[in-house]
Amino acid sequence: MASPPLSQPEGMLPPRSEVGVIGWLHANLFSSLFNSVLTLVSGALLVTGLWFGLKWIFLAADWTVIAELGGRFLLGRYNTEAACEGQNCFWRPQAALIMVSLLLGAAWGLRGNRVARTVAWLVAGVSAAFAFLPYSLETMGLDVRILLLLNLPAVPLGWALARYTPMGTGTRVTILGVAIFFLTLILLRGLPAVPFLQPVSVVYWGGLSLNLILAVGGITLSLPIGIALALGRRSNLPVVKVLCVFFIEVFRGVPLITLLFMSQTLVPLAFPEDMPQNSLFRAAVVITLFSSAYMAENIRGGLQALHPGQAEAARALGLPGWQTTMLISLPQAIRNVIPAIVGQFIGLFKDTSLVYIIGMLDVVAIGRSFIQSNPEYLPSARELFVFLAAVFWIFTYGMSYISGKVEDYLGVGRR
Amino acid sequence: MAVEETTTGQEIEDIIICRDVHKWYGSFHALKGVSTTVKPGEVVVILGPSGSGKSTLIRTINHLEQHQRGDIIVDGIELSGDIRNIDAIRREVGMVFQSFNLFPHLTVMQNITLAPTKVRHWSKSQAEEVANELLTRVGIPEQASKFPAELSGGQQQRVAIARALAMQPKVMLFDEPTSALDPEMIKEVLDVMRELASTGMTMLTVTHEIGFAREVADRVIMMDEGNIVEEAEPNEFFTNPKNERAQMFLSQIL
Repeated sequence: MASPPLSQPEGMLPPRSEVGVIGWLHANLFSSLFNSVLTLVSGALLVTGLWFGLKWIFLAADWTVIAELGGRFLLGRYNTEAACEGQNCFWRPQAALIMVSLLLGAAWGLRGNRVARTVAWLVAGVSAAFAFLPYSLETMGLDVRILLLLNLPAVPLGWALARYTPMGTGTRVTILGVAIFFLTLILLRGLPAVPFLQPVSVVYWGGLSLNLILAVGGITLSLPIGIALALGRRSNLPVVKVLCVFFIEVFRGVPLITLLFMSQTLVPLAFPEDMPQNSLFRAAVVITLFSSAYMAENIRGGLQALHPGQAEAARALGLPGWQTTMLISLPQAIRNVIPAIVGQFIGLFKDTSLVYIIGMLDVVAIGRSFIQSNPEYLPSARELFVFLAAVFWIFTYGMSYISGKVEDYLGVGRR
Repeated sequence: MAVEETTTGQEIEDIIICRDVHKWYGSFHALKGVSTTVKPGEVVVILGPSGSGKSTLIRTINHLEQHQRGDIIVDGIELSGDIRNIDAIRREVGMVFQSFNLFPHLTVMQNITLAPTKVRHWSKSQAEEVANELLTRVGIPEQASKFPAELSGGQQQRVAIARALAMQPKVMLFDEPTSALDPEMIKEVLDVMRELASTGMTMLTVTHEIGFAREVADRVIMMDEGNIVEEAEPNEFFTNPKNERAQMFLSQIL
């Protein structure tokens, strides 16, 4: 060996087999005989799967069923004549959608976050794209198309609100979000006293919007309820502890379908008799509580994984018990169990489909009932369910993608 | 009220009074009637084999461990089960742990300013000003915006000292502050503690650092099996220990 490489070892290049394309192939795909065989076999499977899958999607499949389903896919029977007698109610869900675009724009403006920006433009963009669907003007009027297009200016409007007005604080945007959620419910449900907000019975609600309403309500409520239950389960007060354990074990121990059945008879008992209720409300209560029970156990797992020295250090500084919990224990516990929490959110979103049990037509049930009542589309069931699976996947993958970004932001696994 | 009288009589003199303190973990008798006092500005080092109750003793002083019998009076406040008294004492007593126990989800600056803003209700800018002074004092002013995991062990322990000092305590408790550190980092932490002692801070330190005890301590307490077996000035203690158990302990570590 010549002397320069010895005196300057940092100048030595790694062997060819360790760098570049060949190095990568060698390290990752062909590092041993067994791995090479594995690579070739799984590669062959992948190519065959893709070949037949893509061939079916682009050549064999007949997607007209999706087009035929149209708006029902998103709104169920909401826009039908029976739902909204003598009036046109189409603008109400559209207005709700515009508010959502505005809210997403505000979320983007708040922190200038790239993920929020992508989500906001994606939602508004897809909504606006619906305006150009090649339906006849009779099926899809000009007014609907204009309202859909209004989602595009709603995003920058929300962004500007959060940027340049006193609206731009986390608390206020959160309040705006909650307000928009309830406003959406009121818009869809209607108010008896207001002439242009004729009540629409929840039996006509349906489609993807029903899944989303149940999921958003369930997700935002099950996290705080779950936290409260987890803290209650670790409480020193025996009564609180026993109640929380009882609640968690009961709601975890009974299948959601059973709970949904029971909800129709049992939930009314838990609320004042004269309180107006409907099947959607009962289902939402049960789904939320069911999810909270699981959430509580996730959070409790996170709390138990904390080093006892963390709470000790906080107490030694003179922080009272509740501040120790809110500022030290909970933030770390939640951060550590983000994957489990998001898993629970995803589970909740998929479980919203189970409301078909109590006769509500969620996006899956709408598709099924459409095929049942139109037998000529029976052969298209395959296309329909592949499409539904893809829609669910897009939403759940979105959730895991965002949770990954949140983990990156919080530095999970790094500190 | 005999206890009240002695308390008021001694509170000017002694900042910590332990009288016949007993502590059981289940049926294990960890402290068997410990009595001692600490004067303001005194630096006391507690030595002893593991399991002798030294950590338990200093952890009873800010009530991280609850004693079952006897009295502990800190800064004139009787440490009873009363939660307000406990929080009052904890505000005046800073503690540094063997495993640092910095809050990993907060930056160095947030670690230090948390208690002053939440407990003392200082403004954020005031707390940050104090934090910056303290970070300079412990020698790491440039690390304020980092997270604990980005620092070395010695730097983390110095942040932990700064965090405890930010509450402007009257007493500092050190529970084996250098035991989790690499040798080259022990010195940087001991230097900070030395400087702190020279400013007149009252310190109770559990440590195995004999050099530190010799050089800095005003008094050395030797514990064994839940009892104080010897209490003396460091010179006296290290050259001429009276108790047999202390002689044996010193012959093993020196």
